[in-house]
Amino acid sequence: MYRIRFHGRGGQGMKTASRILGRAFFLAGYEVQDAPRYGAERRGAPIFAYVRAAKSPINERGIIQHPDLVVVADDSLIGLPAAGVLSGLTDRTIFLFYSDTDEKSWQHRLNLKNTLFTIPVDTQAVDPLQRRYAGVSCVGGAARLTGVLDQATLKKAIEEEMADRSPHTVSTNIDHANATFSLLAQHDTIIEEGAAISAVGYEPPKWLELAPDPAAICAPAIYGGGTSSKVQTGLWRTMRPVIQYDKCRQCWWICSTFCPDSAISVTENRYTRIDYDHCKGCMVCVMQCPSHAILAIAEKDADKVTLQEVPS
Amino acid sequence: MTETAFQRQKDLPKSHLLSAGTPMCAGCGGLEAIHIAYDVLGENTIFVNAAGCMTLLSVYPFTPFRGSWLYTAMGAAPAGAQGVRDALDILMDKGRIEVADDLDVVVLTGDGSGYGMGISATSGTIDRCLDYLYIVYDNEGYGNTGQQYSAATPHAARTATSRCAYGHKGFKKDLFSILAANGAAYVATAIGSEPLDLAQKIEKAKSISGPRFIITLAPCPTGWDFDPKETMTIGKLAVRTGVWPLKEFTDGKVSHNKTFSKLLPVETYLEQQGRFRHLFEPQKKEAVLRDIQNSINRYWHEVATI
Repeated sequence: MYRIRFHGRGGQGMKTASRILGRAFFLAGYEVQDAPRYGAERRGAPIFAYVRAAKSPINERGIIQHPDLVVVADDSLIGLPAAGVLSGLTDRTIFLFYSDTDEKSWQHRLNLKNTLFTIPVDTQAVDPLQRRYAGVSCVGGAARLTGVLDQATLKKAIEEEMADRSPHTVSTNIDHANATFSLLAQHDTIIEEGAAISAVGYEPPKWLELAPDPAAICAPAIYGGGTSSKVQTGLWRTMRPVIQYDKCRQCWWICSTFCPDSAISVTENRYTRIDYDHCKGCMVCVMQCPSHAILAIAEKDADKVTLQEVPS
Repeated sequence: MTETAFQRQKDLPKSHLLSAGTPMCAGCGGLEAIHIAYDVLGENTIFVNAAGCMTLLSVYPFTPFRGSWLYTAMGAAPAGAQGVRDALDILMDKGRIEVADDLDVVVLTGDGSGYGMGISATSGTIDRCLDYLYIVYDNEGYGNTGQQYSAATPHAARTATSRCAYGHKGFKKDLFSILAANGAAYVATAIGSEPLDLAQKIEKAKSISGPRFIITLAPCPTGWDFDPKETMTIGKLAVRTGVWPLKEFTDGKVSHNKTFSKLLPVETYLEQQGRFRHLFEPQKKEAVLRDIQNSINRYWHEVATI
């Protein structure tokens, strides 16, 4: 059985990618499961999608713990523990990254001995969320690495999954899938099918026995206010708004009110400050600032910019 | 003009009660309206949330609210509000809580519930003169499940369940008029991109007793298919093109809060959204666009002649 796990950010087409690959397997005569993980599937947030394919009926369910192939459409996720790119890897797990950093560097950085391939990034867009073909490019690569899917099947799968899109969109997607399919030609059939997991050898997780608590303690009731601030939605961000205080005219209410996430606070002297732990990078503030005092900077370049201190 | 603490933009609240870190999409127009509303309502508010996008606001163990929040099934939020209101009244009667500790009961609902599944329970609360505030964040579709059409979806919009060449066949339900005709104490439309107007309406609604309704249009980057940074731009266009009239119903009368001598053509609003792209590509569907423009013109003509 092939077990393939997709990682990306909401908006990069991971669900569609998994469906295209799933459909391609189906058209090639496989039994297939493809599904995204339900949760906060929001634009910019880490997204997971799974494809299982086998020639015999699939009795496994749920998320894929030990993938044969891990596909990552956004390399900024690799360092995020919440994205779980490396979780459950085995010696056999192969990685496919949509990244401009080369294979050797990734293996060194992640201290991995596993086989790893990279697909060059479509650099036309600075914002990774605008790279519309990241997902389908990964599908082309994944199809080639399995070696059991040909270009004609891939084309048909894209046409069927994107049937309601314009012919131009469909053909551009096919072109991108074909490009990576050809790029990885020499690695055809590198993925081996993983063995079926037998229920007989199943070992339950090592449960921790807990004595039952009274309902007032164990019911999912929240007793503190404002606890959502513990969730760092700043991880969703691919573009960062940066206030240039020399241009800020201290009108304060505009960016602070229009920020949907309460992530812009007003200081005592009527400047504003952006809370990068929570800013999701929607860029509404950049658009609304009347004095154009807020810059939009790609998150990967954010280290190169020195933040101006809030004037006292 | 009634007295208001919000005369100008600089009177808007400087600090925000709603905590960050919610799972709403980046650029959520509904969340922006709710954070303004919450600043005006204050901490002594209990929210009753019909299932929808905003039920993800409080996912155990996280909540952005300072006070209580209750989750109900899609059609049951107004009934939930009745229960909470009754409980508070009984506790006060019995002297178990001080009158000063009373809470405002606020229903939070999307358009799927507000315009559709919950409308029967909503109407019931007006019949019973329930004292509560009802805020609809209207993103014109079942957004949390992938933008299937709802009773609030505008004509010709493409949704997950309206994918034919002309988009959604039906027309947006006039919830404002339905609630007004039902005898609500207060009904208003608002939008997060006009924060002063929204703050004034929340303030006014808070000062009235009885069933009160505020319907906010919530531009939705995910469901309407536009870049999140355009949320406020699209909201402002909805007002400037006359698609979303800002109005109030009090004491049996409807009044418009923002009128324009000349509206922008509706195309400027439609062409910025992916859900209407099929009206412009591959070729422009002039007849559909004309029908949409005509219905807006007709509405404003009637407003002007009353």
